[in-house]
Parts: sequence; C-alpha cells; structure tokens
Amino acid sequence: MSVPLPPGLQLEKFEEDDKIMTLNVGPQHPGSGHMRLIIRVDGDYIVSCDPDPGYVHRGEEKMAEYRNYILNIPHLERPVIHDSCNILYPYVLGVEELLGLEVPERAKYVRVIAAELNRLSYTLYWLAIYGIFLGHSTMFMWPVGDRELAIDLLDKLTGARVTHSYFVPGGIRNDFPANFEDVCIRQVNYLKKRLKTYGDIFYDNPILISRTEDTGILSREDAIRLGTTGSVLRASGVDFDVRTKEPYDAYEELDIHTNVLKKGDSYDRSKVPWLDMLESCNIIKQALEKMPKSGSVRVKLKPNPKGGDDEVYKRVESGRGSLGVYIVSRSKPEPYRLKLSVGSFRNLICLPYLLKGEKLGNMPAVYWGLNYWPVEADR
Amino acid sequence: MGTATGIIRALNSGIKHLAVKRFTLRYPEQKLKFVGDGYQFDPTTGVGIAGYKGRHLLFHDKCTGCQLCAIACEGVAEAIGMVKVPEDWKHNKKAIMPQIDYGKCVFCGLCVDACPFYALYMTNDYELSSFSKEALIYTPAQLQVKPEVQQDAEIIIDDRGAYHG
Ligand code: SF4
Ligand code: SF4
Repeated sequence: MSVPLPPGLQLEKFEEDDKIMTLNVGPQHPGSGHMRLIIRVDGDYIVSCDPDPGYVHRGEEKMAEYRNYILNIPHLERPVIHDSCNILYPYVLGVEELLGLEVPERAKYVRVIAAELNRLSYTLYWLAIYGIFLGHSTMFMWPVGDRELAIDLLDKLTGARVTHSYFVPGGIRNDFPANFEDVCIRQVNYLKKRLKTYGDIFYDNPILISRTEDTGILSREDAIRLGTTGSVLRASGVDFDVRTKEPYDAYEELDIHTNVLKKGDSYDRSKVPWLDMLESCNIIKQALEKMPKSGSVRVKLKPNPKGGDDEVYKRVESGRGSLGVYIVSRSKPEPYRLKLSVGSFRNLICLPYLLKGEKLGNMPAVYWGLNYWPVEADR
Repeated sequence: MGTATGIIRALNSGIKHLAVKRFTLRYPEQKLKFVGDGYQFDPTTGVGIAGYKGRHLLFHDKCTGCQLCAIACEGVAEAIGMVKVPEDWKHNKKAIMPQIDYGKCVFCGLCVDACPFYALYMTNDYELSSFSKEALIYTPAQLQVKPEVQQDAEIIIDDRGAYHG
C-alpha cells in the first residue's frame, strides 16, 4: 500500500542520476541547530543546498497580539535568549514611540551597556560554537569560560543570567546595583585582554586561515542584492551598522567604530564579530564614563497603556545584524499586529549561493559563519 | 607571517594559558555570590531594586489578596494561583494568597512589579529542583520562608587571571 504523499510532505527526492546524493544535515541538531540543510553532493562537492528552517517556530508574533505591551516582554526575548536585551530593544523603542514616552537620560545609557554586554555574551557563545564546528576545541573552552565575565555582569545588573526581561517601555526595570561601575570596568577590561589573545590562537592561526580563507565568498554586490545584514554584510565590505547609521538611544553620543573587512569569505565573516566584541568593550567603557551619575531610570506607566491608531517600525543592531520590529496599534492595550524582522533569517538566504561548488567539509565553516540562530529565524 | 611562525605562536599562546588560573566555578562546593537579597520593587517610585530573580518571598502580613500578581502572570506563564490560607488577617478578608508553580514560572519578576503592597519579592534561591511536579508547587506557607543561600564565590581578577574565589 503506497499512498503517494501530498507534495508538501514529500521529504526526500532521490535524483535520477545516481551520481548525485542527497544528504540531510539536521534537524536533529548535529551542529546545525534545529533546522535542516538539504545538501546534494557530487563526490565531495556540493551541487546545491536547500536550507529548511521552521522546526522551532513558536508563534511569537501571534502570541504578541494577545498580551499587553508589558506582558509581551518575557516571551518576546525567547527567540534568542543569549541576546535577549537586543531582541527586546526595537520592541521597547517602538512601544515608547507609540505611547509617547520620554525615556530618562540615564536609562538610555544603562540600556546601551546592557545591550553591549549582551552582544558580548552572545558573540562569545557563537564564537565557541564556530570553534568547535571547525574542530578547534580550545576555541570552544575559552569563549565559554570568558563569557561568564559578561554573564556575571548581566546577572548583577538584571537579576538573571540569560533571559533578563530588563528593558521595559519607558526605561529599565532597575538601576545599577551598588559598586557596579567598578566591577564592570574591571571585568570588561579583563575580557578585552582575553579577547586579544584569541588573535594568536585562532585568527592568526594558519590552520584556521587555510580552512576558511577563500571559502564561500560573498561579493559586495551579492551581499547587498541578497539583503544580508550584520557581520555578513560588513565582512563583504559594506559599511553598515544601525548603531552608527541610525543611532538610537545613547549611541548618538558615543563614538563607534564600524569594522569592515573586504573579502567576504568565511574568514572575514568569522573575524568581524570578534572585532565587534573588542569595539563593544570600548562602547561600554565610553558609556560608563559619559552616563549621568544619577537620575530616574524609568517613567511610571498607567496599567494597561494604550497606543493610538498608529504604526511604528524600529530597528537596532543585534548580535546577528539589524533587527526590526513593526508594531500596528489599534487603540488597544495589545498590539494589533507585531512583526519581527530578524537578522538570522535574512542571512540564511545567501547559504545556497555560498555553498554551491564548495567542498562538503567547508560546510560548517560557511554555515555557522553566517551568524545564524535557528530559533530566531523561525520566531 | 609564515605558517611555522603562526603555528608556534598559536601553541605558545596555549602554553602561556597554563599559567592562567582555572576559571571554573566548582559548583556545588562553591556557589556564586549575588548582589543584594533578590529582586525587589518599590511601587511608589515605580523602579525595581537590583537583585537576583530567584524563588519568591511572600509576606503574609502585607498581602491583601488583591490578585494583581496572578493577573500579571496570566499573560506570562500562568504560574500563580490564588489559594485559601487558614489565617485571619484584617487586610485580607478573602484569606487568599498566591501559590506559585515553579514548573511554569520563568522568573521574569513581573509579578513583583505588579504587587502594590510590598508583599512579593524575589530571593537568591535558585536550587529548586525536585523529583515530582507536585513538589514544585510552592504554597503560601512555603513562600513565606526566607531561604538560606550559600554564597561564597565571586569573580576575582588579579595578575594571574580571573578565578572564582
Ligand atoms: S516571575 Fe514571572 S513567571 Fe514567575 S510567577 Fe512571577 S510573573 Fe509568573
Ligand atoms: S502578593 Fe501582592 S499582588 Fe499578589 S495578591 Fe498579595 S498583595 Fe496582591
């Protein structure tokens, strides 16, 4: 009894030509994350690659339509728990515009510090996985250990190690704990020192260079045409960072250097996040110096605040590129529609182009170099 | 830079790391120190007080049974249920207080923000694992107890690197 499956459910298609073999990478997380790459290989060379995301779809956007602007906070940060401040950032900025809130100056700086610490902890996690994907287990251990420095600071500041629920429309949940500035400066300085040692063991290591250089080249034109964002875009020579091009909150007053590399291969894509981390350390130190030493950090809200008949779109630079939130309000305490535009999903589209003609062994380097986070892409 | 120099520099950097102190926190012998007594919220100023978001602490002498915490949690995790307590308080005519299911709670602390009577705080207690689902449901009587939390390690940075001590 062979009932043909309806077209949408057909999982595997075997090629007529038995030279071509189909390989499924994932979705059982052998390093792919919860997603599948359908790769067709001819010997060792990849003929085509078809990314198949959607295994961890959580319906965040729909869920947001049933909760008010405050209660949306805990679930909206779930798509990227390692970068939860940054994924809340555009939402909070959007709701503030809808409700017409003026954020206190100090809160703007604290938000920048929390967002940068979160970027550090996310990128270190990403780097650790990048290292282990390439078989470099030292590069797994070091970032995971050093990540603790950033997580410890976030823990002190927000009260939770990963899902902080820290940003709220109108400011932040709580001010600095006692003595936080000193601890923050000390740990960030040490983290920066540690990050610099990654140069010798990883980025200048000939073994890494020979594995990643000239693999999966994404030209500047293609990077723009495919709509990539974040470190992928900057590795291809495009100078674009939302923090400097459309500064939000306190980023306007800070001096930020955008790291741009020219070649657009896997090596550059792995290096840009590292340079960004060093820059994050500078931003944190600048923000700590420039921030107002006291003042309120949160404006008081009425219970169940309502926005008008309005729409907003806000975007920020997250660890994976520009992250936008579009909110439609229809004079209700809940958003009428909320749409997340995430960096991971936008970067995934270039994977079929990058892997074509590449050796199968280079797949992990190319794939994870995209700074892709499956759960965020599925929302 | 030549390949050989590159490899030697990479090895060298790994060997130098041998002198760096071990960063690992030896849990459960060592436990991290947190700032303060846990996350608290001041309804008059509308701002929280920094602290760890762990297991809740309920003050029976302050809770009025207004259910605002349960309403807040309704949109988050539905972890709070209001239950009868065998106590007689003038300010709590209905004699109901929150009971929290830690199998559902996500430790966001929005219930603490919602309580207008300083009755619900969070503590540094994070070791809540249990063998049954029922044991994760904390009754108002259990939530009243202030936990004893061992806190003896924090990150120390000196010239031999960072370590927990
Ligand atoms: S911390 Fe959050 S999830 Fe837990 S009981 Fe309070 S509101 Fe509910
Ligand atoms: S804990 Fe606070 S919010 Fe919850 S019922 Fe008691 S008084 Fe009301």
